Amino acid sequence: MGERIREVLPSILSVLLALVVCWVAIALTRDASIATGSYLNMLRGGLGDWPLFLENGRAAVVIRPLGESAIKASLLLLTGLSVAVAFKVGLFNIGAQGQMLVGALAAAVVGAYVELPALLHVPAALLAAALTGAAWALVAAGLKLTRGVHEVISTIMLNWVAVSLVDNWLVVGPLRTGAGTDLSTSGTDQIAVSAALPRLMGDISRLHLGFPLALAVALGVWMWLSRLRTGFEVRAVGLGPEAARAAGIPVARRTAEAMGLAGALAGLAGALLVMGTELRYPGTLGAPYGFDGIAMSLIGGNHPLGVTLSALFFGALRAGGTRMQLLGVHKSFPELIQGLALLFVAGRLVWLSLLRRRLAPVTPTQPQPQSQPRPEVPRA
Amino acid sequence: MLEVLEALLSSTLEYSTALVFAALGAVLSERAGVVNVGVEGMMRTGAFCAAVAALSMPTPLGVLMGMIAGAAMAAVHGYLCIRWRSDQVVSGMALNLVALAGGTYLLESLYGPNGTPPITQLSRWHLPFGLAEVPLLRAFSGHSVLTWLALALPFAFHWVLYRSPLGLRLRAVGEKPHAVATLGLSVQNLRWLAVLGGGALAGLGGAALSTAVLDRFEQHTPAGLGFMAMAAMVFGRWTPRGAFLAALFFAAGNALRIGLASSLPEIKDVVPQGFLLALPYLLTLLLLAIQGQRTHAPAALGVPYEQESR
Repeated sequence: MGERIREVLPSILSVLLALVVCWVAIALTRDASIATGSYLNMLRGGLGDWPLFLENGRAAVVIRPLGESAIKASLLLLTGLSVAVAFKVGLFNIGAQGQMLVGALAAAVVGAYVELPALLHVPAALLAAALTGAAWALVAAGLKLTRGVHEVISTIMLNWVAVSLVDNWLVVGPLRTGAGTDLSTSGTDQIAVSAALPRLMGDISRLHLGFPLALAVALGVWMWLSRLRTGFEVRAVGLGPEAARAAGIPVARRTAEAMGLAGALAGLAGALLVMGTELRYPGTLGAPYGFDGIAMSLIGGNHPLGVTLSALFFGALRAGGTRMQLLGVHKSFPELIQGLALLFVAGRLVWLSLLRRRLAPVTPTQPQPQSQPRPEVPRA
Repeated sequence: MLEVLEALLSSTLEYSTALVFAALGAVLSERAGVVNVGVEGMMRTGAFCAAVAALSMPTPLGVLMGMIAGAAMAAVHGYLCIRWRSDQVVSGMALNLVALAGGTYLLESLYGPNGTPPITQLSRWHLPFGLAEVPLLRAFSGHSVLTWLALALPFAFHWVLYRSPLGLRLRAVGEKPHAVATLGLSVQNLRWLAVLGGGALAGLGGAALSTAVLDRFEQHTPAGLGFMAMAAMVFGRWTPRGAFLAALFFAAGNALRIGLASSLPEIKDVVPQGFLLALPYLLTLLLLAIQGQRTHAPAALGVPYEQESR
């Protein structure tokens, strides 16, 4: 069994198994035809209603769902990359949610209260979001580096600090629409038109510049990790900080840089949400894309390409989820598929041992090592 | 003044019950060296199963079902982390995601979006011999048996952990598992015990929410309480009594916040709600920043045990 396949196969099998288990779950609680029907609906909602398109030839029934999938996928991709970059340096970034939240708020504030020409406004808001997200993540990195506080605990705490301060104070208090008046709405003002990410397909789809942007970012992260010296050093630190230190790599600096980048990526996800679809910071950001990022990163093997593929796949499922509601299946159902897939990916060694047993007689020439250490997932 | 204190004390006790159980569950699991970020998911499962079970059987049995459900989630965690040495944080987060989405799906397809139908709450205990009339003591009256259990359990747990052979072994397994193995004891079995017990306690905490605090399972239960329990565990330096006091402290803060918001609405302009909500987490972060490496986390926390490794 090739090394590549050993890397990829557990993820693919996990996703497939999650799809099967969830189908069975619907079949047991409802019945089999509803299960199949809602899966087909999910496909139509995520990849477009091709049968209807072939019937009446209106492109919108295909393009609109694909656009929604791409929007969802770009958010999942950025938070997934955030978690993956942190993994590369040996940190587990559970805080993507909080970093996304503060990033979204920064984008909303710059978008609504700063006046700039369109050419500068979008980059300024994106930059503000990335910097705020990075700063939020650097708190955890700083605590880790100077005080030895485990990043899992500090990022969990920072998530809740962000939720409490932003959702329960800023956007219902000083930053809410019409603050100072008696209006009891929550959420910030609408961002200026110049700060909105331009739509790519006009009125047919909500697809906006965020999707190509996220893909470009993924490519950039990939290039950085695989081609540039700093990226290489970051990976070296993740594989073994002691060895990296001995080789003269500035371990603390690379750790902080990677964690800052992780926060910036999550912050960008928040910016996309605000500048692409919501057009303001709503009363509550709700969607836990930050936590989804953990699933994207691990299902994608912490590799930028893998994260991209898994974000595209689950983006389509998630967009299709709204369509499952037609058959009375809750729209968050794809999140269950995703959660189970993550759970199965966590049992990677189970898969490998099963595969070894199945494939061992076919390739008896080389004995496989007993258990492959997994450098990409650091032990706490 | 006395009535105000009584009301605060009473709502602190009410709110702390679930938090104490979940925090103790987290302490049990982590002292044996298994990270437990899945508390939230285990609580949600426990709360859901307890409420559903209580629809068709006496509520105390429903609470038991909630504990079993929490332990079942923990069994998945244990199977992946103890048997297969998976990453413990990944497994815990996955359980959270599964419980969140799975609970939503089951709730919606079985009972509708708002919650399960109401169940009979656990009966409330009133103090005997006219003690319920004594000022301040009155606050202890009218709570369910679970509240009393939450007040007693931390001390029993403390005794087990620090005074009994089993407790010594559990602590050793979290600090230096190889030392335990050299005594001929099974590291895996001890960890299984702790993980399942921790899951049952988290499930009990969830069950307390849906059978004692509320009278049904609601869509957002437990709304982050599991993570607050983790904060209490860290704040209490991974000890039962410390986690208990931290949970009481957080609960008192919450009772104060709710009490102030309803009796003095203008206080919101002086101290925003968000600050008070963030306080437990900010304090925990602050404590970690001050203590630094002397955080008292078990030495082998998060490290999968392999017989061959040294």
